Parts: sequence; structure tokens; C-alpha cells
Amino acid sequence: MTRPASHWPRALAGLAAGLAIAVALSWAWLRAASAGGYEERARAEAVGAVTQLAKAVEQAGAEGDAARAALTAWQAGQPAGTVARLVIVSGARLEGSTDPRDVGERAAPRRLQRDEKWAYDQAQRLRGVVMENAEQGFARAEVEVERLEGRYALGAPVRKDGAVVGAVEVDRPAKPPPAPPGAPAALAAVALPLLAFLPLRRAAARRGPAVAAALALYAAGVGGFAAWALRLAGGSGEGVRALALSAALGLALLLFVALGGAGRAGAALRRHRVAYAYAVPAMIGMLVLVFFPFLYGVVLSFTGQTIYNTSAPLTEIWVGLQNYVEILRTFAFRMPDGSPSFYWTLAFNVIWTVTNVAIGVSVGLVLALILNTRGLAFRPIYRVLLILPWAMPNYITALIWRGMFHRQFGVVNYARMLFGLEPLSWFDQPFTSYLTALATNGWLSFPFMMVVSLGALQSIPADLYEAARVDGATRWQQFKAITLPSLKPALVPAVILSVVWTFNMFNIIFLVTGGEPNGTTEILITQAYKYAFQQYRYGYAAAYSTVIFLILLAYGVFQNRVTRATEGI
Amino acid sequence: MASRREERIPHWILHAVLVLMVLVTVYPLLWVISIALSGGQSLALASLPADPGKLDLLRAVVPWPERFSAANFTAVFRDQPFGRWMLNSVIVSAATTVLGVFLASTAAYAFSRFRFPGRRTGMMSFLVSQMFPGTLMLIPLYIIIVKWLGLGSTRIGLVLTYATTAIPFCVWMLKGYFDTIPRELEEAAIIEGAGPARVFWVVVVPLAKPAIAITALFSFMTAWNEFILAATFMDKEDMYTAPVGLRFFVGGFSQQWGYFAAGSIIVSIPVVVLFLYLQKYLVSGLTAGSVKG
Repeated sequence: MTRPASHWPRALAGLAAGLAIAVALSWAWLRAASAGGYEERARAEAVGAVTQLAKAVEQAGAEGDAARAALTAWQAGQPAGTVARLVIVSGARLEGSTDPRDVGERAAPRRLQRDEKWAYDQAQRLRGVVMENAEQGFARAEVEVERLEGRYALGAPVRKDGAVVGAVEVDRPAKPPPAPPGAPAALAAVALPLLAFLPLRRAAARRGPAVAAALALYAAGVGGFAAWALRLAGGSGEGVRALALSAALGLALLLFVALGGAGRAGAALRRHRVAYAYAVPAMIGMLVLVFFPFLYGVVLSFTGQTIYNTSAPLTEIWVGLQNYVEILRTFAFRMPDGSPSFYWTLAFNVIWTVTNVAIGVSVGLVLALILNTRGLAFRPIYRVLLILPWAMPNYITALIWRGMFHRQFGVVNYARMLFGLEPLSWFDQPFTSYLTALATNGWLSFPFMMVVSLGALQSIPADLYEAARVDGATRWQQFKAITLPSLKPALVPAVILSVVWTFNMFNIIFLVTGGEPNGTTEILITQAYKYAFQQYRYGYAAAYSTVIFLILLAYGVFQNRVTRATEGI
Repeated sequence: MASRREERIPHWILHAVLVLMVLVTVYPLLWVISIALSGGQSLALASLPADPGKLDLLRAVVPWPERFSAANFTAVFRDQPFGRWMLNSVIVSAATTVLGVFLASTAAYAFSRFRFPGRRTGMMSFLVSQMFPGTLMLIPLYIIIVKWLGLGSTRIGLVLTYATTAIPFCVWMLKGYFDTIPRELEEAAIIEGAGPARVFWVVVVPLAKPAIAITALFSFMTAWNEFILAATFMDKEDMYTAPVGLRFFVGGFSQQWGYFAAGSIIVSIPVVVLFLYLQKYLVSGLTAGSVKG
């Protein structure tokens, strides 16, 4: 039997960690949400107030004592420090004012003074907006709002007999923002359940009850904090989402710690700390810059993100499986608009991969066998020259080859003419266009296979062949019985790798054929790139890429089953 | 003895095949060199008359410029910001190599020598990450590097991206090589009183020189040759790397083949020299791990 007392510290630690993360996260979120919401509400309230004033003044006839009375009556219902003025455009008059400075000599009604030109300008501006909206139908805001330090400056047009005659201009202090969810309440939500747990642990010493008690107290703590915080924040939908998310995170953490997951992970970390120290720098880099972007891309594939809604939250543009359905739906090779469908591109991609790898392996292997001949002169020179395509940057060679297949100035067509053939428009037919890319990639890829095969060939002991010759084996028999089996361990991983590389060989297709004609020589990855960066359909392109990944993954799993390449790792 | 001689393929046939292949291999390269040295911007080396005869055509096919001029080489540095682009490429590639080799060799050492929870998962996840399509990563990487980390148009952003994306392949290669180094050597060092870090740097790294050289070469080539990420991250023209700048010469509507060819040669020379220098390690570095399997 394990010692029963060993479970409660774990449950307590889990409770503390879970509560701390849940309350801290929801506190931060609610704070941000309530600040944003407050700003929006205050603005809407100020706009409502000035619109209400404009209505009241219009009903009072827009001018004269009745309008001034409406101004004063409205003023009574506003926060202290609010100042309203009524400006009439014709004659640039200040018809009414509640500004404490506009008394005595400056009391309304009077002509606007030179330093009050801004008020006249604002009235003119508002009149312009209203007229423009009536003429051209642009729905521009007919209320001007300016957020200043501690107050709002607003203006609204005043109509009489359907025409704008002036404007009400309001200077209104902004209400101070409400207190954010307080730190004491958050602390209480964390501390009280923890304190309650200590007496409880005497009663519940075993793992099950201790964890159950921790869960109950967790629910009480988070629930209490949520009820209190939501009342303060006004029960917005965003607040509920934030609370639910952080509560779920905290719960996961509580269970992880309380059920011993953290302890086991910590023990493993301590025991293998040297190994982890070596592996961690690379792992962090991979997590941040490889696995996280990958997951983010997969999430994007379920959204309808385009260049126009990149700032919208992903939940708002969520479309579920729609992108995948759209990609996989059309079973014909041609889309209705004549462009190649997904299945055409996939078929082309497979043909492209198979032919390229076949060419690479056969040419590479033959050259390696020749170069491995003992006593052949100039071997090092041949080898260096034959490796050159691998050493050259492939985007450069891709562009050169595209140039060589140029209809008018390309050297390949000159060579055809030399033999009395007509020059060809290589990129106008799918098949000839494919040939150009195949030539380029074949040229690029044989050196890798040659080097790998050569390495494997050189490691075969010569006495194997001696023995075979003594037994009277022919050259072909020697090749089948000795050479091929010895090549296999080196060639199989190389072939697997080059299948994956060729399948995703972006540069060659993109730079040589560019998918011409009409997208028929596109492979999946260049097609995905075009969706993303020429049509700006990010979500759709992400779904396309995810399908590519799944195809390659299926291939990898299948290949692994067949060759057992990763056995013994 | 007689039967053995009959089985041999005569060497002149082998030489013929090799010479033919070398011609195919070298032809496009000679052709770029010719364009670069022709001094012009044209794709064609010879201007053909309206009705070209055999001789004219032969003249157009042979990679030999009509006249030699270094104008393209001087112009890319004088009239174009090519020197600046090269400098960017040198800095980015060198930093990527140092960082990438460090990350990959330590991780590969851990995967090769220690048995720890998550080891198999880690190796498999590296393998699977080779299957992630670049386009799936491009948008998220842009968001992380440019929007969140604010490293757009900086060399650091590119270095971090290149170094990490090269890790999986490098780790697999290095792990295979580390597996072939006898453990007794390390145990001897430990008995002599060396700590884990000392064992790694003093015993393992020198023994793994061929594989590390190849890893460095691949890290360098990844960074030196990459252009899609660089084109996405780098907004300012003076932060372009050489590949992005080169694409500029013959992409879209510009057809400055002379500049492109001259630039290509300048860009290729360092990596070709490095490659040829390190190719003696190529066979052992690439195949040590797999042959054993």
C-alpha cells in the first residue's frame, strides 16, 4: 500500500495552480473586455445625448426663445460640466448657449466672433455632410464626435423645413471608467478554496476523495469569481467566453497536477536532465517555428480567411469543412471553368514524382556503377563535374532552363532548327511543358542519387565479388546477388526522401512552367501557393496544403510499414 | 582468366557515356557564363538573320559569346544594389550555419546517446515535419515573424526561420553518424573525469567531423539558396538577399538576362566552391547512418 498522505499535497498544488491560472487569465481578459466595452458605451451615450438635443431644438423651431428653452431643459439632464451651443449658419449667429462664459456682453443671441470661427465651420461641415448624403446616398455619419482628453466634443445638424440651418455643438465630460475587476476579489477567489482545502484533507486522505474535494473547491472558487466579475462587466458574451476558456484551462492543469502527471513529468525531467538539456534548444525552435505554424495553418484551413478579413477573429470566419468539400467535390479532371481540378493536379503530381525519381535513380545508379569501375581514368574529374548541378542554387538553374526553352531565343529551339525541325512553343502544350520541367528536374536530381549509390558501392567488400567470380557467377548475377542488396539500405531512405522532396518540388514547377498552359502542369504545392498569394484565399490555400500533407503522411506511413525504415530508432 | 576479360565492358564506352553526361551537365552552366560575359542583356548569344543557315544556327547553339565584356559584372555592383544583397546573404547564411549546426548537433547527440521519454516521438515528429508543405507554413510564419515578433525586413527573422526549418534533416543525418561512433571512446573520457559538455565538444564533435561538415554545408545552402521566405519577409529593397534580388532581374516584366547571369555566377561561386571542397565528406556523411541500418 502506498502512503495515503502522499496524495493531498498533489491535490492542493493542483488546486492552487488551476485556480491561479483560471482566475488570473479571466481577470486579465475581463479587464480588457470591460475597458473596451466602456469606451464604446460612453461614446454611444454621448452621441445619443447630442442627437436628442438636436431633435429637441428642431421641435422648438430651431431658432428663438423656444430653442433656447429647449437647450436649457436638455442641459438639466446632462452630467455637470456639459456645455451646449446652438449655431445658426445664416448670419453666423450664436442663437443659444449654456456656456457659463457666454453671459453679459457675450450672451446669446449674438453674432459669432472671430475666435469662434471653428463653431461656424463645424456647422457648415455638418450641413455639407447632410447634403452630400441626400444627393449621393453615401451614409456618412451626420454627428461629429471627437474624443479629447477627459471629454467629448460633439456636433449635430439642426434642420428647419427639411433644410439644415445650423448645428448644436456640445462639449461633454467623459465619465471616468468603472473600476476594473479588483485584485482583492481575485485573490479571495484563489485563497478561500485553498484555505478550505486544508481542513478537508484530514477527512479525505486518499487520492480519490482528495481530488474530488479539490475539484469541488475549484468549481466554487472559479464560480464565485465569475459571478462577481460578470455582474461588474455587465454579463457580455465575450466575458462568458473568456471565463469558460480560462476555467477549462485551469481545470486541465488541476487534474494534470492532482493526478500525478506533473510529478511524473518532473521526475523524468530530473532523471534525464542532461538529455533534455541537449535536445531542448532545437525543440523550442521547432515548436515555435515549425509545429506551431503548422497547427495554425491547419486551423486556418477551417476558416474562410482572405486578404480582406485578416484582422477578424478566427471564430467569426469559421466555415468548418467547407473548404475541404469544395476542393474534393469535383471529380472530373476539369473544373466547369476549364481549369484543372484537384484530381488532375494530384494525378499530374504523382506522374511528376514517379518519373522524376525513376530518372534520378536510374541515371544516378548507372553513373555510380561506371564511376566505381576500378582503374577508370579521370574518375575524380568526372565526379566533380557531374556533381555540379547539385551544387548550383536550384532557382538559378530553373530560370536558366526556362530561358533555354524560350520559343524565340531559346537554345533548345535553335538546336531543333539545326536538325531541320520546326521551333516549338514548349509551354503551349501540357505534354511539352511537362517535358521542360522534367528535363530540368532530372538534370538537377541525379547527382544526389549518384553520390548516395557511389557511397554504398564503395563500402561493398571486394572479396564478395572475388568469391562470386570463383563460383562462376556472371556479371548480371553478381549485380543481382551482391550489388543490389548492398545498395538497398542506402538507396531506400534516399528514394523515400527524394519522393517527398520531388512531390513538393516548388521551385522547378513555379519557375520553369509556372503551371502553363492554363494550370495543367501545376503540382499541388504550386497550386496552393497560387490560391494563397495570387487569389489571396488564405483559408482555402491552407485546406489545400493540409490535403497535401495528409497525402504525404499516408505515403510515409505506408512506406514505413513496407520498408521498416524507422525501426530500431 | 580469359572469361574475366570478356565480361569487362571496354573503358572507351564508359568514357563515352561519362563525357556525354558531363556535356549535358555542364552545357547550361557554360551557357550562363557566356551570357554573363557577352556584356548584353539578351537571352540569345547570337543574333540570327531572317533565314538562318546551318552555320548561323550552330553559332547560336555553341556557348561562346560573340564578344567578351565584363560590363555585366561591373554593372550589377555599380548600377544595382547587388553588393548590398550579397552582404545580406553572407550574413544570413553564416549565422544560419552556426546556429543550425549548433542546434542540430546537440539535439542529434541527445537522440543518439540517451534514452528518454519523448525520444521516439521527437524523432518521428522531425520526420513528419519534412512533409509539411511550405505554403501551409508561409502565412503563419509571416504572422509570427513579422506581426508578432516584429522581425520583418530583419536578418534575425530569416536566420531563426532557416536554422529551425533545417533542423529535422540535419538531426536525422547527424544522429545516424553519431550512432556509428563507438561509445567506448566517450566512456573512456568520462572515466578520465570529463563532464557531459566536455565529452561532447572534445570527443564526439571532432570524430563526427564529416557529418558536421555536411550538416554545415546543407544549412549554408538552405539559407544561401532560399528565396520564397526571403521574398515574403523582406519588404525593403536594401534588405533583399541575393536570390530575391536576382529574381528581380528576370521576373515580371524585366528581362535583364545579362545582369541575371552575372549575378548568378557571383552567387553560385561561393556555394559551388564550398560544395566541391566538402564533397570528400559527402559520401561518408550522407550514408554512414543509413548503410548501417
